[in-house]
Amino acid sequence: MIEVKAVSKSFGDVKAVKEVTFTAPDHQVTALLGANGAGKTTTLRMIYALITPQTGEILIDGVNPKEHPEKARKLLGVLPDTRGLYKRLTARENIEYFGKLHGMSDADIKTRTEALVEDLRMHEFIDRKTDGFSQGQRVKVAIARALVHDPQNIILDEPTNGLDVMSTRGVRRFLKKEKQRGKCILFSSHVMQEVAAVSDEILIVSDGTIAAQGTQLELQQQTEKSNLEDAFVHIVTAGEDHE
Amino acid sequence: MNKQILTVMFKEIKDNLRDKKTVMSSIFMGAIFGPILLVVMMNAVSGMMKDKAEKQLELHVNGINNAKSFITFVKSQGAKVSSFSGDAKKAILDKDKEAILVIPSNFAEKFESGIPAEIQLYYDATAKGATNITQKRIKSLIKSYSRSIGMIRLQLRGISPSLLQAVTIEDHDVSTAESKGAQALAFLPYFLIMGLFMGSMYLAIDTMAGEKERNSLESLLLNPIKRSYLLTGKLLATISFGIITLFATLLTFKFTLPFMPFESMGINFNFGIKDMMLFAFLLAPLSIMAASLQTIIATFSKSFKEAQTYVSLLIFIPMIPSIILMMVPVKEKLWMMFVPILGQNLAINQILRGEPVSLLWFIAVAVGSLFVGLLLALLAIKLYNRESLLFSD
Repeated sequence: MIEVKAVSKSFGDVKAVKEVTFTAPDHQVTALLGANGAGKTTTLRMIYALITPQTGEILIDGVNPKEHPEKARKLLGVLPDTRGLYKRLTARENIEYFGKLHGMSDADIKTRTEALVEDLRMHEFIDRKTDGFSQGQRVKVAIARALVHDPQNIILDEPTNGLDVMSTRGVRRFLKKEKQRGKCILFSSHVMQEVAAVSDEILIVSDGTIAAQGTQLELQQQTEKSNLEDAFVHIVTAGEDHE
Repeated sequence: MNKQILTVMFKEIKDNLRDKKTVMSSIFMGAIFGPILLVVMMNAVSGMMKDKAEKQLELHVNGINNAKSFITFVKSQGAKVSSFSGDAKKAILDKDKEAILVIPSNFAEKFESGIPAEIQLYYDATAKGATNITQKRIKSLIKSYSRSIGMIRLQLRGISPSLLQAVTIEDHDVSTAESKGAQALAFLPYFLIMGLFMGSMYLAIDTMAGEKERNSLESLLLNPIKRSYLLTGKLLATISFGIITLFATLLTFKFTLPFMPFESMGINFNFGIKDMMLFAFLLAPLSIMAASLQTIIATFSKSFKEAQTYVSLLIFIPMIPSIILMMVPVKEKLWMMFVPILGQNLAINQILRGEPVSLLWFIAVAVGSLFVGLLLALLAIKLYNRESLLFSD
């Protein structure tokens, strides 16, 4: 479970995130939906302790990442916005490297890698050097690498950005399976379809704040719109969405 | 050592060893570039000196018939004389001739009256190559002719020519064969240090700027590892490439020794296993400094290319002490041994000169370089801990 309480962060004069509060519980897919530059990535980076929040508190299964960054990272699996692989290493070696940094034994890394190869369908390219991989193959390896330690909490920043239909479906199927295993999944996106297809709870992020929150149906009812996109536009423009 | 540090170190070594370009340009090029350049340089210098000193001197003379006895003297000294007509100044500037003698038509008249008769010598003092040797040989030829004529004139007047010599000089050159070798090899420390810098350069760039450019840095920082451990692992990989290249450079140097013109230069220089180990002991501590400096610069660079530009400029820094020591004679003091690069230069030159050097001085060299290297490594770690590391682009 990830708890975010009244968290803020500014870069110079720009207030990127303002007093954001929300909870992403286990057994659920929570989505941060917002336009580019709304503050999604900054919020996520504070959760995985790459940036220190100026106010507020974050707890990951009760651990504050500001005070115990290494302990918090063990509880997290993160697919960040930038997800480059090591091109001269094979997909398997990329995954092994992160497994070792997590302090896993060779046997554990092997078993877990096999399970991830199965779930993400990576048989074809697992032992090839990652130079020249397609976007879809790269994202799959990056997800496997991020989740090699089988964390309880999974954070994904725009996971299906730039992927084709087949790869997108593969990632969605994987996330649904992880949810069934009881994981807490938090992901960000600016794609309505994406959010509508996988998430249970939607948080609409606009200008560094949470503008609205609820299931897709709840958001549509609140705004009296028939689809998520219209509801989203209505919320972020504060009702002034007349074309 | 911490397991995570080792994991990072071995990953970086494996990753970079797979890149043939890195291996070629760091270890291989670093190791052979310096020693081979040294062989080429030494052979060029000794060849040029030998060539000009032993070659028959050729005199181009305008006005041969104006000074017949001089020409006879010159020929008796083994020089070849040829007549020249035309613009002497132009022929020199066009590099047609190295030096030209012009004997004016009033030469014989002045000569016979006992007035100093002049011979004009044209040459270009700024010309490259052996022109200066030619010019000096011609001058000494003219001087010895002038002196022998002068002596005959004095004797004819019943005066002992030795009266002209109030003071004589007796040469006592105390240089040994080793010290001559040291002079010629003054640049050896630089070539060895250069190999070390070249060896670690690519690793420093790849592990820092490369990680940023590949967009793999953020994912890496998300692992439960302290950043100081992460950087220590990367630094150790970089240092190990520097040290491997150092040993390869020393070996290459050993193998190039037979191609050095030591014999013709009168140099006696042995480079045995003991010398090699001693050199390695003196130079290896520099690898920490080199790797840390390169890493710090690469941390600030936005891209691989930018890092490459700045880090390659670093190679010229170790040249400074070598150049200064070549120009200014320095009396070695203990404190100088603690200064990285300067200490290595002084100590290696002492070994080359065959002078006894105390163990204390060798240890001072190693300790000084280690200390500065560790300070720079700490600075690199401190810089790596900044939050802005990710956002410097």
